[in-house]
Formats: sequence, structure tokens, C-alpha cells
Amino acid sequence: MTTGPTYEIAIIGGGIMGCATALRVAAGGMSAIVLDQGDLGQGASGVNAGTLSLQIKRVKLMPYALKGHHCWEEMGDTVGFAKTGGYTLAFNAREAEMLHERQTLKSNAGAPIEFVSNNQLRAAEPNLTHKVEAASFCPEDGYANSSLTGQYYRGKLRDAGIPYREGCAVTAIDQGDGFTLTTPQGPIRANRILLAAGAWLKPLAALLDVDLPVNARVNTVSVTERLQPLMSSVIGHATGLLTMKQKANGTVLIGGGWQGRGTPQDGRGTVDADTVRPNLALAQYAVPALSAARVTRSWTGFEANVPDFYPLAGALPGVPDAFVLGCVRGGYTIGPYISQLMGDHILGREPEMPLFDPGRDFEKDTI
Amino acid sequence: MIRLVPNHATRIKRSETVTFTFDSEPVQGHLGETLVAALMRAGHLNLREAPNDSAPRGAFCCMGLCQECAVIVDGQVVEACRTVVSADLVVERA
Amino acid sequence: MSDLNDIAVVGAGPAGGNAALVAAQSGARVVMLDEQPAPGGQVWRGKTASILLAPVTPETTAGNGLRSALSESAATHLADTRVWDILRNGDHWSLQILRNGATEQITCRSLILATGAREYVQPIPGWTTPGVIGLAGATSLFKQTLSLPGKRTVVSGTGPLVFFVASEIRRLGGEVAAVITPNTRADWARATPSMIGQPKLLARGALWMADLILARVPILWGHAVSEVEGRDHVTGIKTINLKRGVAGLSFATDSLCLGNGLIAQIEAAQMLGAAIRYDPSLGGWVPVADPDGATKVDGLYLCGDGCGIRGAAAAALQGTLAGARAARDLGFSAPSPPVRPWQRAERFGRAMTALSIPHADAHALTTQDTIVCRCESLSRRDISTEITTGATSTNAVKSGKRAGMGPCGGKYCQTAIAALIAEQTDKSTSDVPPPTPRPPLRPVPLGQAAGDFDYDDLPIPKPAPL
Ligand SMILES: Cc1cc2nc3c(=O)[nH]c(=O)nc-3n(C[C@H](O)[C@@H](O)[C@H](O)COP(=O)(O)OP(=O)(O)OC[C@H]3O[C@@H](n4cnc5c(N)ncnc54)[C@H](O)[C@@H]3O)c2cc1C
Ligand SMILES: Cc1cc2nc3c(=O)[nH]c(=O)nc-3n(C[C@H](O)[C@H](O)[C@H](O)COP(=O)(O)OP(=O)(O)OC[C@H]3O[C@@H](n4cnc5c(N)ncnc54)[C@H](O)[C@@H]3O)c2cc1C
Ligand code: FES
Repeated sequence: MTTGPTYEIAIIGGGIMGCATALRVAAGGMSAIVLDQGDLGQGASGVNAGTLSLQIKRVKLMPYALKGHHCWEEMGDTVGFAKTGGYTLAFNAREAEMLHERQTLKSNAGAPIEFVSNNQLRAAEPNLTHKVEAASFCPEDGYANSSLTGQYYRGKLRDAGIPYREGCAVTAIDQGDGFTLTTPQGPIRANRILLAAGAWLKPLAALLDVDLPVNARVNTVSVTERLQPLMSSVIGHATGLLTMKQKANGTVLIGGGWQGRGTPQDGRGTVDADTVRPNLALAQYAVPALSAARVTRSWTGFEANVPDFYPLAGALPGVPDAFVLGCVRGGYTIGPYISQLMGDHILGREPEMPLFDPGRDFEKDTI
Repeated sequence: MIRLVPNHATRIKRSETVTFTFDSEPVQGHLGETLVAALMRAGHLNLREAPNDSAPRGAFCCMGLCQECAVIVDGQVVEACRTVVSADLVVERA
Repeated sequence: MSDLNDIAVVGAGPAGGNAALVAAQSGARVVMLDEQPAPGGQVWRGKTASILLAPVTPETTAGNGLRSALSESAATHLADTRVWDILRNGDHWSLQILRNGATEQITCRSLILATGAREYVQPIPGWTTPGVIGLAGATSLFKQTLSLPGKRTVVSGTGPLVFFVASEIRRLGGEVAAVITPNTRADWARATPSMIGQPKLLARGALWMADLILARVPILWGHAVSEVEGRDHVTGIKTINLKRGVAGLSFATDSLCLGNGLIAQIEAAQMLGAAIRYDPSLGGWVPVADPDGATKVDGLYLCGDGCGIRGAAAAALQGTLAGARAARDLGFSAPSPPVRPWQRAERFGRAMTALSIPHADAHALTTQDTIVCRCESLSRRDISTEITTGATSTNAVKSGKRAGMGPCGGKYCQTAIAALIAEQTDKSTSDVPPPTPRPPLRPVPLGQAAGDFDYDDLPIPKPAPL
């Protein structure tokens, strides 16, 4: 069986992680191809809530998130970036305590988070409920429009001369003198591979007999029709279970990681009304005027996770020249930056910040 | 002129007319008919402005799907084609 | 309302209504839900309370028949009830329904979807002008309120509906400026053999046509409306002779009824996992179901125009088949009605659908500046550019341009967008499925979806790890 060219790297998965890494390695002179089973940016990267919030990032990931914010700011209008600042709200004493504890740690980790008084809050966001017990603010917070991920990276890949194939699921990987990938569009050969398959990493790694402890979360997002201006910054909840912003076009996007149904192997997941309803209730509690707003769509996306909730970024254990990047909590925010680190690692350069060994012991606190 | 399809207009008996307001203007409609029917009869075809190009829009599908007839009643966006006329109804542009 | 029903039927048209009747007759506990105030569906839509007295039409008679049978039946009918989400929960289905301004949940062991059709309107310049309404949509104005879209109306579109609408306008005292149909007389001649079995419908159609001719209403065969004039409201239309590609007559008018056939409302079936296939003779994408409505999804049955455009007669017969099948599968002793009558009716229905589907030239009517996605005011050029730069699926175009993210949820743009994708990427339309359907099935006010709640009772899960 003869094939086309042998690429220096084949990247499996055309989400943010895959596409952004492709751009980095290609900039370093490596010939790359990106393969996606569906369309580019139709996985988590294209359906997420788009929140760029330091206030909901994990403490140890803060340096990465700060860098990630700068990447998004540079992408600017083409990805619908807006730095609006964000408020995180606590509605009772228990949540206020949680807010103080968490935001203090995050602030110590470098996020410019401050606590704000009720008066400040009301002046800034007059449509918020008056039942706020405590609130924090981060001027760096904002959002981008995840729907544009596919469009954005398609253009970038094309500009960089990086081929990509859509509708090109990798169903088998043969090793020996590089890698040969089986796809519906014929075999593809490459010297290296990067597994960037998001919530599909486990079955993909299994093609190489590697067991990655990846599970999928089924996050839900809802959106309203266009509304009069109701809020000007990103609104969050102390538990992280509400993220909300009003886009320039007037629609309000409501997320917070409420769980839907389904598995990545089986379609695009299903919204569960039993979790959407409390998510919407929380939004309405924060901004009572939302009550009359019509919800036009709720949807789900699959986000990958490992037991210690830290990224997988580095060499795939036991398979020379194979790499893995995924499972990043807040991966939309951090994705463009951690992909640069990953790309540098693949290019044989020392990344600016440490990666996250995919072969670590997940039961221990190793990060 | 011979008509094979008879004109039934005169044989239709409708409920009393009531007055409601659309965009602060009084409009007459028959109690219980759809807002769209009353607004069309009164010549109010232009119900809203489209986003982006601000072009005028009016009822289109007449079955509650297209959302082109969206208006506001009691602070709530509703489809005019699925809302019923009553006296003193206050209908605003969405 | 929390009690488990044996069968829930979504849609109270000829299909859903008959499904509910036969299932209830077998002893099953049946609930039927519809967003309309009365049963009847699109074809037999009931009148609003504003009509105190009116001459009877065949639609009134048929609708009244169904309504009175249902009111005597043990089936519970929930009117003015919108189903906005459906989910499988273990061995039953849970339906989120919006009723009296609040969300309630209904559960059932088996589910029959009889959601019917909506219409396809080929985008043409000016079709967003107030005063342009759907051709099928016009019939719902007539049926509900016996009112007219304007004083002088152009009626344009495919299939038999164009003549029905023109005739109804005349019956209700309006003036028809012209009838414009892309169909040719030859199209109709070809369809005649399949109409022989439906002499009543044939006679009715002949009467409409003869009346229009006697009244000297211009009938433009093989023509389409190429442009609508007017800004705040319709003032006139231009036509094109499709065969010769030259301009036809223009007409002054204050309203236009415009349609190009029907498409099945498949979103609910799709959401629940029913496979879909492309069949133009059934109106495009349809869910896969047996003649008696059974699907590969456990406890899910489909019937009527919602699983392929076959017309009201076939819908009613398939409703009976599906209701009986669903009841039998649950162990009730329901009849096994013969499939033959449905097959005969569907042959006629398919012939009408074949006449109604957009003409091959139809897409050329959508000029580069024509709005394709009404909700977001996106032109054909906007969509085409997105396709040219690499968006080759309806989901990708939706993500990139918001086409399908507006309040209608893509119901009125996706057919045209799929055709553009197919044309520009040399794919067959059958390789361009509609985008992933998502709830709510209709826009729902947030407060009515959330319902009353106490903050302290919200089931807020454990926060994310620090
Ligand atoms: C606007 C319109 C007008 C038509 N007029 C005619 C006509 O005059 N003559 C003719 O022969 N054919 C007509 N048709 C064709 C029509 O499809 C008929 O063939 C027939 O009505 C089909 O019957 P059905 O029971 O399958 O669906 P329908 O009669 O369409 O019934 C489906 C029912 O489901 C309900 N429904 C759907 N989704 C939901 C939901 N989420 N929640 C609650 N309720 C829901 C709808 O309100 C509707 O009453 C029309 C179609 C349309 C779209
Ligand atoms: C609903 C939701 C909301 C979220 N909200 C936020 C937020 O507000 N802020 C934030 O920072 N993060 C958020 N996230 C997280 C963030 O979206 C993800 O961490 C990030 O997008 C992951 O990117 P990825 O490239 O690893 O995965 P994906 O974008 O999922 O990409 C993986 C790709 O691999 C492809 N693929 C899989 N298997 C194969 C195969 N065998 N062959 C070929 N291709 C394959 C898939 O089709 C997919 O396109 C959210 C996630 C979800 C799901
Ligand atoms: S006219 Fe389409 S929703 Fe009312």
C-alpha cells in the first residue's frame, strides 16, 4: 500500500490543542497535518462557554491561565475576544467563606483578584440581585466566542500551509518506521504523532495499547435570544457552577459545568433538563430580569478529565515519538498557551513552563 | 360573474371588536382572534426590526415557529400568531 | 401530572389524534399534547373564539370529527402545551412541557411523535418584507380566523396548495392578483395517474382551477416570483419564466403567499436518536420508521408528516397504525389495522410532494444579496463565503456565521444552506445532514423553564477542585 507524503508529525484532533500545536510546530519548521473525525473546532473547543476567567482557574494552573489570556487578547476580534472584567458572587455565608478562601489563594498565585463592596458591585452591574453576600472582581476576565474556533483555526492552518482533513477519523495506528494511521481517507504516514483528541483520548490511546485514565464530563451551556443590555461583565458563582456573560449581540450565554448525558463515543451528548433547570435558576437568581428572557438553545460538549484534574501534556508513556495533549480544565483559556509549550517540546526545545507528564501517578499529588 | 367558489365573507359572524394598543397606537380586533390577524387587518404588517440590518419584518410562518412576529406583552416576548386579542391588551415592539 | 402514562402523543393533528384515539381505546392511559388550542393539526386547525358562525368546509368537518371523537375518548388532551424537551429516563420518557406559563414534567412508557411539517420557502430578494407569508402559513390564517393576508394577494408556490390558497382567498372575499407556480401543466399531467384513486380531492382541485380561470385570475405556469418590492410592506412582485430564464409579468400587490413544499419536523425524533435519511419525495430529511411507526429506538414511534410528507389522509391512517402498534407493544389488546389503505394514501401523498418540492431552478432565485437566514439577516453571500473558506457542514456554517443560532433555531434556513453547501462542495444533498438538533424545541422563557425555586434547594453540586 503506497501513501502520500510522510509528515514529520500527524496531529490527531482538530480542537484548540491540536490546531494550536500544529501552528507552533510548523512555525518551528516541522511538516504537520491535522486530522479530525468531524469538522475542526466542533468538539469541546467549538461548543464551550468561552469564559476566560482567572477566578475559576485552578491555583496551580494560574501562570498558564495568565499566559493564555494574553494569547486570546492577541487573537482579538477574530475570535470575539472581549476583556470585560468579571464578578464572582456568593449568595450566603457559606459561599462567602468559600469565595474568600479560594480567591485569596488565586490572588496569591498571581491573579489580580480583589474583593468588592456591594455598592461597587451595584454601580457596575445594576441588574444584579441585591442578595449578594460577597463578591470578587478580576479585571483580566472576559470571554471569547468559541463558535469561531473552527473558522479561526481553519484560516490559520491554511495561511500557514498546514494541511488538515475533516471527516477523517483515525481508527488504527501502526508503528514501525514511523506511524501509519488508518483513516477513511486512506492511510496517513508520519514520523511522530500527537494525540489531541480531547474527550476521545482514551479510545485513541488504546489503539496504541496505552491506557490513559481519561474520563469525559458532559458540560451544558444555554443561550438566550438577543436582549437589552443586562450585564457588562462576566458573572460567576463562588462554586464555579454559574458562568454568564452577555455577548455584544445581546445574547446571554449561561454555563457552569452542569452535567448532561451521553458518551463521546456516541453522538454529541444530550442535555438533561434536570440539570439545565437549576443552572437557569441560578442565572435568574443572579440577574432576576433574565426571567423573561427566552432560552433558544441548550447544548452539551465533552470535556476530558483525569483523576487529578491536571492536564496531560508530554510524551505518551511507552510509545517513542508519540505525544499527548489534553484534559486541561479551563482548556479553552489555557489551550493556546499550553499548545505552544507542547509544540516547543515536540520541536526538542525547552518549554517556557513545565509540561504535565502523562505517565505520572494520578493517585498521588505529583503536580 | 359566475363564481364556482362562493364568497363567504358576508356569512361569517365574528365576535365583538375590542381595542388594544400596538406600539402605543389603538388597534381594533375581534375578541379571541390572533394578534397577527388583527394587526394585518389594521395594516400593521411591520412588527419588528431585524438584527444587523434593521430591516422591517412581520409575521411569516403563522404557526409559531419562525419568531418573526415576536412582540412583547406584559414584559414577555410572545409570538403574535399564537397570542389572542383581548380588550386593553398592551402590545409593544420586541 | 407526575403519574406515569402508558403513552404520550406529541401532536394532535390527523396523525397524533388518531394515534391517541386507538391507543386509548385499547385501554392504555394516553396523554396527547399540542401547542395549538384545539386538536386538528395544521390541516384541520380549529377556529379561534372570534368566529361565532361560518360556513362549513371539508376541513372544518374533518377537524370537528376528530375533535369530537377525541373529546369522547379517554385520552387526556393537553392543549396550548408546548413540549420543549424529551429525555429517556430508565424505562420511561420524561417530557418537559410548557403550560399556563410554567414548566411541568410528563412521563410515559412509550412515546408517539406526530409533530407534522413546516414549510420550505425558497429565499428570494425581498422575501423578508412584511406582507410576505408562507403559503401553508396562509392556510392557518384562514382556518383560525377566516382572515386575509391583504386586500390583493399574489399566491405563489408549488403543488396543489397554491390553488387551495388562491381559492380560499376568494372564498373569504379577497382578491387574488395572480397565481404563480413553478410547476408546469406537464408536471400535473404526470401526477394525474396517482390522483385517480382520490376522486374527491381531484374534483375539488378542478373546481378551484376552473373558478380561478372564470374569474380571469392570471395563472403563470412554469414561473416563480423573482423579487418582492416594497420596504415596510409589499407593494409588488416580479416574476421569472423558469424555462426561458426571462422576466415574466409583474404585479402590484399588498401581500404575497409564498411556499415551496413542506419539510418534516424531525428535530424531536432526531434528538431521541432516530436515524434519519434523505428522501426528496418525502420532503427531504426524514426519520427512519416502519409503516406502523416503530423505530429502532425502544418505545419511540413516529407517524404522520413528521416522518415524511405524505399528506393528511396518510397521516390519519398512519396515526392509527402507530397508536395500535404502540399499545400492542405495551401488552394492550389493540387491533392490527391493515397497511394497505395507508400505502394507497401515501402514493397520492408522495405524488403531491413530488409536485411540491422545490423546482430544480429554485436555488438560482436566491441571489447573492438575498437574506437566507432571517433571524441573523445573513445573505447568500455571507453563507457562501463561509463555505468557500472551508465550512463544509451545516454545523460548521452555523458555528461560523450563527446561521441557525437565532430564535427560529434554523427551521427556516437550513434547507437552503444545505443546498448551498452541496452545490459549492460538489456533494450530494444527501451528504449534507441538518445541524445537531438541540432543545428547547421552541424558545422558552427562562423563568418558565427554571420554574419556582428556593435558592437553598438548588441542587448545586460540589465545586470544581481548587
Ligand atoms: C402551516 C401548514 C398548513 C397546512 N395546511 C394544509 C392544508 O390545508 N391541507 C392539507 O392537505 N395539508 C396541509 N398541510 C400539510 C400537513 O402537513 C397535513 O398533511 C397534515 O396536517 C399532517 O398531519 P400530521 O398529524 O402529521 O401533522 P400536523 O397536522 O402538522 O400536526 C402536528 C401537530 O403537532 C403539534 N406539535 C409539533 N411540535 C410540537 C411541540 N414541540 N409541542 C407541542 N405541539 C407540537 C403541532 O401544533 C401540530 O398541531 C399544512 C402544513 C402546514 C405546515
Ligand atoms: C460545554 C463546555 C464548556 C466549557 N467551558 C469552558 C470555558 O468557559 N472556559 C474554558 O477555559 N474552558 C471551557 N471548557 C473546556 C475546553 O473547551 C476544553 O478544555 C478544550 O476545548 C479542549 O480542547 P481539545 O482540543 O483538547 O479538545 P476538543 O476541542 O474536544 O478537540 C478534540 C478533537 O479530536 C477529534 N477526535 C477525537 N477522536 C478522534 C480520532 N480518533 N480521529 C480524529 N479526530 C478525533 C474530535 O473530533 C475533536 O474535534 C468547556 C468545555 C465544554 C465541553
Ligand atoms: S409568524 Fe412565525 S412565529 Fe408567528
